[in-house]
Amino acid sequence: MMNLVYTYQPLFDYFLLAVGFAYSQQMVLRAGVFSIGSAGFASIGAYFVAIVVKDHGMNAIVALLIATLLGCVGGFLLSIPLARLRGVFQAIATLAFVQIVVSLCLYFDELTGGPQGFNNIPKLVGTWHLLAAVLVTIYFMYVISRSAIGRAFDALRQDETVGATLGISIRKYHMIAFVLSGALAGFFGGMQSLYTFSIEPEMFGFTFLVAALTYIILGGRGTVTGPIIGALIMSVLPELARPLADNRQFFQGILMMVMIAFMPHGVFDGLVLHLRKRRAAARDKLFKEAH
Amino acid sequence: MASLVLSNVSKRFGGLLAVSDVNMEVPPGKITGLIGPNGAGKTTVVNMITGLLKLTTGSIKLGDRDISEAEAHEVAFAGVSRTFQNIRLLPEATVLENVVIGFHVHVRSSLFAQLVGLPSSVRETPKLFERGRQLLERFGMSRYADHPAGGLAYGHQRRVEMMRAVATDPKILLLDEPVAGMNDVEATELGDVFKELAASGIGLLLIEHNIRFVNQLCEQVYVLDSGAMIASGTPQEVMHNPAVVAAYLGTKK
Ligand SMILES: Nc1ncnc2c1ncn2[C@@H]1O[C@H](COP(=O)(O)OP(=O)(O)OP(=O)(O)O)[C@@H](O)[C@H]1O
Ligand SMILES: [Mg+2]
Repeated sequence: MMNLVYTYQPLFDYFLLAVGFAYSQQMVLRAGVFSIGSAGFASIGAYFVAIVVKDHGMNAIVALLIATLLGCVGGFLLSIPLARLRGVFQAIATLAFVQIVVSLCLYFDELTGGPQGFNNIPKLVGTWHLLAAVLVTIYFMYVISRSAIGRAFDALRQDETVGATLGISIRKYHMIAFVLSGALAGFFGGMQSLYTFSIEPEMFGFTFLVAALTYIILGGRGTVTGPIIGALIMSVLPELARPLADNRQFFQGILMMVMIAFMPHGVFDGLVLHLRKRRAAARDKLFKEAH
Repeated sequence: MASLVLSNVSKRFGGLLAVSDVNMEVPPGKITGLIGPNGAGKTTVVNMITGLLKLTTGSIKLGDRDISEAEAHEVAFAGVSRTFQNIRLLPEATVLENVVIGFHVHVRSSLFAQLVGLPSSVRETPKLFERGRQLLERFGMSRYADHPAGGLAYGHQRRVEMMRAVATDPKILLLDEPVAGMNDVEATELGDVFKELAASGIGLLLIEHNIRFVNQLCEQVYVLDSGAMIASGTPQEVMHNPAVVAAYLGTKK
């Protein structure tokens, strides 16, 4: 029994971190912003926390709060030049941002350790901390999704012109999405630092952002449960498919293509939409029989 | 209640003068007609009023307030709402959710309250959904509340769009060919809805191809042709105006 716990605990921990980053990615996509900048904010949060906690002995909680704030400010600043961009142009611009952060981390090696990474970070975060952080995040995601902000995001994602004519300021709500997404990424980036002993620039590069996107494509953009499902699938699948480990990237790619083609809303959101349609059809049938 | 007044409004798309020096008034409590052949510039006028297109020249006022330069969301807050010629619903959302998004301008809880889940925001949401249900009731659409809006029949989709526009509690409501593609029975039904809305004090601008339908509902009709206002007046006056007859016979059927 203990063996099982020891084997799977790291997996569970990484799943929890994945949920955090998935929510950061979902926040922007939900509002119809195709930003993939979460990796950059996670990197900023991770390096900031690692440096101030290890080299300057800052209190971990204070460091995490500042990392969250840095994510907010970063999201806000990034949203300004990107306000006019949409779709693939947003994606490319935010990808450039991620690569700038990676190269800055490589370049300022006296501060960051450069390509060798930043090592011997005190391990102050364990499973319970991660779990608590994810639960608090789920609370906020739920509250926001039930609020006018969540409804505004949903409207802008589906048709931003309609949203605007109903009084939703596209610029304002896209900015809010950037800020919240940055906050989540900065915070969970900091958590990851205090969990993993060492970080390196490429941890927050292309692989990271593909993973974050994958959680949402698998899970869904519009529900609080979606990212959890997406992160779960991506955490469990490699374990189930151990024999395929050599070709993991290959099968991951196939899975993505199948998902996008057949369940464009993701597993969970797709299910919700499907049930909605079924229920509507059933009620129509009842109504027709009654008349 | 405030009138919507367009003064010398023009719109140029590159070399094309799509709307040229248009003057028009939409008074409260009445249904004003705007007719004209295909490509006359009717939708362009609506897009300029609602802040989706910038004016090339001219000004638009709602009461005392100049909204010529206002952005789309500011125009909505000022009290102008619209429907779209090619229906635009939020396809993933239910009918009720589509209507509730129309209450956005009435949201009172602060951003902070919404972000951290203060009672002012948490309690507001069910209240708005309740108001949405009442609106569905009024339009006879209650049984579709939880249907995905994208899957409804055409006539019902038009109603959903109308309810969403009415949910903003507008002073001025712009309807861009709201009965296009409907049969006469459905159109007459909607005509009654329009009369009710006007009776409640809203100023309606009704864009239509069907002159007979406009005649039944409007006291004042404007006729646009190739971007220019060629006639205005009561339906009778307009119908017998030689320029209007020529415009319609010349380009239609
Ligand atoms: N965004 C745009 N860019 C360029 N030209 C445009 C644009 N929108 C409309 N036009 C042109 O302006 C003219 C007026 O178009 P508009 O859609 O306003 O006409 P309409 O009266 O609404 O016609 P319909 O009855 O077919 O809906 C047309 O010639 C159209 O091609
Ligand atoms: Mg038109």
